Parts: sequence; C-alpha cells; structure tokens
Amino acid sequence: MKMRRKRKKMKRNKPLLLLPLFFLVCCSVTNYWKVKVEVPSKIALDLNQYSSIVVTDFLVQKEPKEFNLNQEIVKYFADGLEQQFKGKVSSKKVSLEKEELFKDRDFWKSLFPDQEGTVILTGNASYTQEIRKAILETRKKRDEDFYPRSQAIEERRFYTLDLSLYLIDTTTGEALYTKAFKESQGYNNPNQTAPFAFFDLVERVKEKLFQSLLGGSRIQERYLIID
Amino acid sequence: MKYKKIKLYAFILIAFTFILSGCSRSYKSSQIQFGIFAAQNALWDEAIFRWKKAVQLNPESAAAHNNLAVAYEKKGLLDEAEKEYETAMKLNPKNSYIKANFENFKKSLVSQDEDEKKEKKDEKK
Repeated sequence: MKMRRKRKKMKRNKPLLLLPLFFLVCCSVTNYWKVKVEVPSKIALDLNQYSSIVVTDFLVQKEPKEFNLNQEIVKYFADGLEQQFKGKVSSKKVSLEKEELFKDRDFWKSLFPDQEGTVILTGNASYTQEIRKAILETRKKRDEDFYPRSQAIEERRFYTLDLSLYLIDTTTGEALYTKAFKESQGYNNPNQTAPFAFFDLVERVKEKLFQSLLGGSRIQERYLIID
Repeated sequence: MKYKKIKLYAFILIAFTFILSGCSRSYKSSQIQFGIFAAQNALWDEAIFRWKKAVQLNPESAAAHNNLAVAYEKKGLLDEAEKEYETAMKLNPKNSYIKANFENFKKSLVSQDEDEKKEKKDEKK
C-alpha cells in the first residue's frame, strides 16, 4: 500500500520535477535573431565633400552614326548626378582633342579659375558595334519530322562601350579619380538598335560609378545573440 | 492538504530562484535584449549605445561584442566591426553564430577588395 501511495505521489510530482529542468534548458539555450543588414560599401572618393560638379564634353574616339555619343553621355551623367548628388550639377562645352589633356593640370585649372569645391567629370569614350555569326542547327516541328534538320547562320549584334572617366579637382587640376569601364552585350533581336543598347550599357557604368562615388550597400545576413 | 502546501512552497521556491537567477543575469542581458529590440526596429544608434553599455558592464560578454560588431558593420565602421568580432571570437570561439558572422564579414571584405583588384587589372589591360 505504501509503495502504491509513493508511486501516486511521484506521478503527481512529475510536472513539478520537470519545471526546474525546463528552466535550465531555457536558460542554457543561446537565443539568436537573424537580421538582414544593409552593409555600406567602401567609397573610393566621397563626392559629397564637394559643392558642385561640372560634366564637360568627352573625347570621343569611335561613335555610331545613329546618335551623338558625347551629347548623350554628358546628358546621361548630368541627369543621373542631379538626382543623387546634393550639390549643384551643370555641364560645360570643352573642346578636347588629345588624351594627354586629362593630365594637363593647367588646362583644367584655367577652365574654372575662381571656383573652389568643384569637380569636373570628363573622360574618353568609344562605342562600337560588331556582328557575330554562328552556325546553329534548327529543329523542325513534330509534324515536319520527315524533313532533315537544317542548319542556319544566325547573327548577333554586339555592342561595346569603353569609358575612361576622370574626376578632376578645379583648384589643383589634379585627377582625383580615374577609372576605365568596358561594358559589352550581345543582342539577337535585329531591332535592338545602337541607341537602345547604349542605354543598357551606360546604365551599368552609371551604377558602378555611383556606387564607388556616392556610396552603395549590400544586403547581408547576420546573427544577433544573447549570452 | 499537506501535499498541496508542499506543492505550493515548491512552486514559490522555483519561481523565486528563477527570478533571482534572472536578476543576476539581469541588467547586462537586458541591455543586450534592448539593443536587439532597437536593431530590429532599425534604431542602430540606440542599439550601439545599449551594447556598448553591456560591454562596459560585462567586458567578457561575447554576445555584446558580436552584436556591437554587427551594428558597426551596418554603420560602415568596418575597422571597429573587425575588432569587436575578434574579441567576440576570443571570448567564445565555439559559438556558431559568432563564427558565421565573422566569416561572412571577412568574405564581404574580400569580395570588395577583389572587385577593386579586378577593376585595377582591367585598367592595366
């Protein structure tokens, strides 16, 4: 009888005995929270320390017949900077004839003699187009299986944008930042004309450039923990 | 009746010990928790303030150092973040979350440097 009573008591006490165990487990487990963090990337040159940017003409080496490459690049960068740069953005016509001019400090100093805190964005540009051909096997539809498979020559248009950009300080005439970009893309759509492809390519350049000048971020996962 | 009384005392005792143990962990971990709450609500400056306090109260808290590192990373203070990750790793080298954070942090640094190197190579070409 005594044993039975004891067993009954033990059964009743079970939840009570489990309580401290539960607390122990709760305390020993390290809690964590997964968070998504936007980690800022390194800035090569902080443009925000300048009050104004002047986008000058570019030295164009190769350009398509369909549009004025220099005009489009100047417009594109000036508009893009206006949206993201806090200071003043303007453009200026400058005749660039040689590549050596980018290293000529006196030339750049003389352009804006009394303007402090201003940076010039300029550079070299060439935009080329080529047609690449390849022999591709074309398959007939199921109903036409009795015909032999045919081979056809397919064409693709490749566009390449070469941009060497210079950011020049107007007070010293020194190039603070230089970077060369080469972007190319193939299109099998024959209606993909040079101007359309240009905007795809220059957009890629703009993204990379602005990320290193105005800052960007990468989304990463991290754990926040409790001891 | 006796059994009920014993049960009640036992429950009070357990609750009391739990509260006491909670109090001893207490202020330090509450700072960490408050920091996490702030970070979850995108108040990273507040989170940094809380985790700095937690580090002051308990310099050997790996969690506080780890969380502080994450906040510094978020703020773009990469050197400070690296230091905090290193101390967190020294204090608790077996913690898988700290390890994962530190490894991902190093990877992101390497990928940024690699991007820069690639760009420099392209420029040379």
